[in-house]
Amino acid sequence: MTRVLVVEDDAQTAAEIAAALGDHGFEVECAYNGQEALDRAVADRYSAIVLDRMLPGGIDGLAVLSTLRGLSVDAPVLILSALSAVDERVRGLRAGGDDYLTKPFESLELTARIEVLLRRRSASDRQTMLRVGDLEVDLLKREVKRGGRAIDLLPREYRLLEYLMRHPGQVITRTMLFEEVWSYRYDQRTNVIDVHMGKLRRKLDEGGLPSMIQTVRGSGYILRAPD
Amino acid sequence: MRLTDLPRTTSFRLSVLFLGLFGASSAAFCGFLYWQATSYLNSSVDHWIQRDSVMYLTAPWDIVPRLTTHAERDPDAWRPFALFDSSGRFIAGNLHSLPERPVAFGRYFEYELKRRGKDTPFRGVGYRMPNGDILILSYNVNEIYGFKHLLLDSMAWGGILVFGIGIAGAVITALGAVRQINGITGAVERIVTGNLRERLPTRRGAGDLDRLVHLVNGMLDDIERLMREVKGVTDDIAHDLRTPLTRLLGGLERARRRTTSAEEYARAVDAAIAETKAVLGTFSALLRIAEVEDGARRAGFMRIDLGRIAADVVEFHAPVAEERGVTLSFDPESPSLTQMSGDPSLLFEAISNLVDNAIKFSPIGGSVRVRTFSTKGRIGVVVSDNGPGIPAHEREAVLRRFHRLEKSRHTPGSGLGLSLVAAVAKLHGLTLSIDSSFPGSCVTLERDSPLHVPLAAPSVPGNAARDEAEARAVSTSV
Repeated sequence: MTRVLVVEDDAQTAAEIAAALGDHGFEVECAYNGQEALDRAVADRYSAIVLDRMLPGGIDGLAVLSTLRGLSVDAPVLILSALSAVDERVRGLRAGGDDYLTKPFESLELTARIEVLLRRRSASDRQTMLRVGDLEVDLLKREVKRGGRAIDLLPREYRLLEYLMRHPGQVITRTMLFEEVWSYRYDQRTNVIDVHMGKLRRKLDEGGLPSMIQTVRGSGYILRAPD
Repeated sequence: MRLTDLPRTTSFRLSVLFLGLFGASSAAFCGFLYWQATSYLNSSVDHWIQRDSVMYLTAPWDIVPRLTTHAERDPDAWRPFALFDSSGRFIAGNLHSLPERPVAFGRYFEYELKRRGKDTPFRGVGYRMPNGDILILSYNVNEIYGFKHLLLDSMAWGGILVFGIGIAGAVITALGAVRQINGITGAVERIVTGNLRERLPTRRGAGDLDRLVHLVNGMLDDIERLMREVKGVTDDIAHDLRTPLTRLLGGLERARRRTTSAEEYARAVDAAIAETKAVLGTFSALLRIAEVEDGARRAGFMRIDLGRIAADVVEFHAPVAEERGVTLSFDPESPSLTQMSGDPSLLFEAISNLVDNAIKFSPIGGSVRVRTFSTKGRIGVVVSDNGPGIPAHEREAVLRRFHRLEKSRHTPGSGLGLSLVAAVAKLHGLTLSIDSSFPGSCVTLERDSPLHVPLAAPSVPGNAARDEAEARAVSTSV
């Protein structure tokens, strides 16, 4: 079972995060300050760590993170912060963080990002062919086929599909798509990405095929082979 | 400030200091002049005495008859020449007693005698003859004394005049400064007590204090505008957040009262979640605007191409425009000409807001045009549409937070989009201007071309900036 360590000083917030991750199927343990976080993370192996940037008692989130990295604890770390300024994010990522999420966030956003972090390590970048069900993407030729039929995609649609294909069966939120495919970082609140996804979906499902991309709770997508 | 405070003012002290310096140097100069003049005049008298003494000293056997002749010619003794024996008794000449001052032989000395009832100065020299007699030769130096006194008097009067004028000048300057400072302190006190409309009094001059006053007044304008904005924003927040919060509360209470089934509860919870998300969205938009206005985001600045970002925005919105039946076109300038330093995400968001608005308010079949340009040393991006446009009297107001045109009250949106655009523009030194040509509106973001300005290195030379740049390089190749 996947074990996640949540480091958050506010007990109620910690409980909410733990509940969200627990509902997702993770086994969750909580630490409420920097020292406790270090003790637990070093003593035990966790698959991922959710780390609040601001912690009481001298050792703040970034200090915990760099200490852990110094002790070769290489579990993926997602930093939570109320600070959204770009240099805060940069600082977090430089200290060894793998992802950065600004409070307040939706539980779906948190679990989706942790899933991606967990599987990022296992996925190989040397793949040249991605397959999900009858859908295949040739990464070298940049060709997409479903059931042998070639599908003509615009560059941006191709990148959307490639990202989803690299994370089959995982929830990918709109924000993640926007960051990954458009490479800009801000809270996209329009429905523009939905329209892009709608076009991609129509192209993939052309000819009355069962849909491969499903919408999750209004703000995420999941690509999986139809049953 | 009272008159007794005058000596404490800087201008008064400075004036007095300079007056003192000037006085000291003038005194030194006058002293030198006086010394030079008197020694010149004395030397001419000394020269005459010298000539006479040569005559008397080279013929000591002839002294008494000569002195007698001299006394006959000069009975009033304007040139007192006389011989005394070693005990000081008169022998011959027209000076009947030794001067009161002790005589240093061979050295010039000055003394006074009564002449016509007045003390009259004489300058002379005494010699001890080989037989012990004392010879005194002296000249009347009344005119030299007169000249010396005239010189001293005029110097003294000049000094008094200069000192008087100097002090008067210092007082006048200080009074002027005191009056201005009094005006300024009065104005500042009124501002501190809450009258933000008050400004420091200005004068026509261009002195350093006047420049400072202009600067401070400019700052006060800014502060007043900010205070007004803060008040406006507070009112707007109160209004725009109270509405969804009221709906949220109402929905939850109704669910509590009426709902019976689990599905109904789920619906009520979903509605509450949606409302809460909207409120949070408004909050984070406000925080972002504050963050951008604060200038903190400059840390993420890097070399960017405005044209690339505009192209990305157009590409991003293309499917939406297509869906709404709006033609979205892009007219790029050569990429090398639209380079500047900036935060790509913020610029994308700003241009994206403009394009999103333009598409939203364009009629079906309308067109939205995005154009980047570089002309006459200005670079920028223009988003124009042929929608209803923004009425002239609302153009300032739309940049305020939460402002929405009456017509658009019923369309979704927080009313924060354009204020974010304005904040991003300001952060990047871009001027935001809105033109409305019926039909349609045209929003321009422009600035001086930074082609010759070296790239401002990001203060955090972090991975994210590099990653972002690399990611962007990849996305071009797709």
